[in-house]
Amino acid sequence: MPPSASPASALLHADGIVAGYGTMQVLWGVDLDVRPGETVLLLGANGAGKTTFLKTLVGLIEARQGHIVLGGEEVTRTRSSDRMRRGMTYMSELAVFPDLSIEENIRIGAQALGHANPNARLDELYGLFPVLREKRRDAASSLSGGQRKMLGIAKALAAEPKLLVLDEPSAGLSPLFVKEVIRVLAGLRDRGLALLVAEQNIGFLEIATRVFVLEGGRIRFSGTVAEMTDNEALRRAYFGLK
Amino acid sequence: MLVYALVAGLLFGLYFSLVGIGLNLVFGVMRIVNLAHGDFLMLGAFIAVGVSALAGFDPLFAVPLAFVVFVLVGLVLYYLLVPRLQGSVDPEMLSIILFFGLSQVIEALTTIAFGTSERSIDSGELGKILAGLRVHVFGGDADGPVELLGQSFPTSWVISAAVSVVAILLVYVYLYRTRLGTLTRAVMSRREEAFATGINVDRVSAVAFGIGLGLAAIAGVFAPFMFGSVTPAFGEDATVTSFAIVVLGSLGNPLGTALGGVVYGISYMVVQTYLSSWADLLPYVLLILILLLRPSGLLGRRVRVA
Repeated sequence: MPPSASPASALLHADGIVAGYGTMQVLWGVDLDVRPGETVLLLGANGAGKTTFLKTLVGLIEARQGHIVLGGEEVTRTRSSDRMRRGMTYMSELAVFPDLSIEENIRIGAQALGHANPNARLDELYGLFPVLREKRRDAASSLSGGQRKMLGIAKALAAEPKLLVLDEPSAGLSPLFVKEVIRVLAGLRDRGLALLVAEQNIGFLEIATRVFVLEGGRIRFSGTVAEMTDNEALRRAYFGLK
Repeated sequence: MLVYALVAGLLFGLYFSLVGIGLNLVFGVMRIVNLAHGDFLMLGAFIAVGVSALAGFDPLFAVPLAFVVFVLVGLVLYYLLVPRLQGSVDPEMLSIILFFGLSQVIEALTTIAFGTSERSIDSGELGKILAGLRVHVFGGDADGPVELLGQSFPTSWVISAAVSVVAILLVYVYLYRTRLGTLTRAVMSRREEAFATGINVDRVSAVAFGIGLGLAAIAGVFAPFMFGSVTPAFGEDATVTSFAIVVLGSLGNPLGTALGGVVYGISYMVVQTYLSSWADLLPYVLLILILLLRPSGLLGRRVRVA
């Protein structure tokens, strides 16, 4: 198992995160780190606490205990907009604003964080996602599920993040679109963007550098993909192998 | 008679659009039903009475005054009440109770200050500074009614409708042509996603709440001319009417309110013309019908399911 990066060298370092909703505690001391340029897969079943953990990381839920360090700076008590300005953007499962046009969605991704030149960024993103350029005046609600995920990724990329956090990008998509999402994320990884992907679809292992397995609000495993596939219990749980 | 009812209905409808648009803006952004909406409308009417009767100015001057005052009141009220509300377990239910209470307080304080007697303004007072322009555009004399499609209508109705159109167009410009307006529509579209995108939802909501109250107050300025007079109790009826207009157009879609207002206005004047004793039932009947037949309103959202 590779050692965790130190808070100073990691792009994102979460240490002993405890969080929940009201009286319900969901996370019980979760540790995770993402290094510059790597793709980390947070694997877990429904209800494992993946979304709660991501929301805590990006500041949408307050951590009750623990520390979050982003780019060497403690951000545990800062607002989500501050963390996003520091280079961590988030694509939720909802991903887009359905009533806004595609172009407005992307502009909001850039403008909400005070991007200096949203037009130049728009051209770059349309280069990455040509289908969005064709439909840029259409409402996001008119897009198919897969296209909405592409728009969600483009929106999150608009602010030029160092780390893109994605919550179940495969949710609700057909296998064909899941492959397309994986292909797009692989392209972003190859450009040097760090990715933290929460998923229950093991197809995302093919782009991952390291894997964290979350069960019942606790990290059950962390290591490389090879280490995970060598682990018999995980192999049975996630690959259906005996 | 039908032509008169239709044109008068259109004039009232445009005005009703202004009556409801602030309520819908606030609901769209904050998912909070402002049951005190009609009371801010009533307060706008009292500002108009003050500007006209006490200061002797054209009530049109009350429009910018009421807007600025109530945008500021809205900002203060927002930061005083709403963050605590949003932090509660059931903010929508609590908002109904809280704004109902606020409505009662506003009505009681207004009654203590001004009494229960009806307040009105001479219809000739509205737009007297524009009398020359009106004669130039519509002809006739400066004190007379306005001729439209061969029918005569009070000048105050036409001015109220015209100001309403301008106000609605400005709301459109705000929502579709400004950066803050785009962020406002984003919050209306998906509040949770707005937080996830790093939008300062509190600031957007506070501005929308202020504008919503400001628009209600502007509508209130014209209430003495459209309804003859106002009392502190006027707010309750105004809230029910606003709610019917908003639900008719589309709850959460401010520009749908324009359609809801026009449909309501024409229905109101047609019923008033042919079945006048039934006119007061109209908002309730329309509310029931629209909720049974098309709960999402006339401009209800259709979203593609992937």
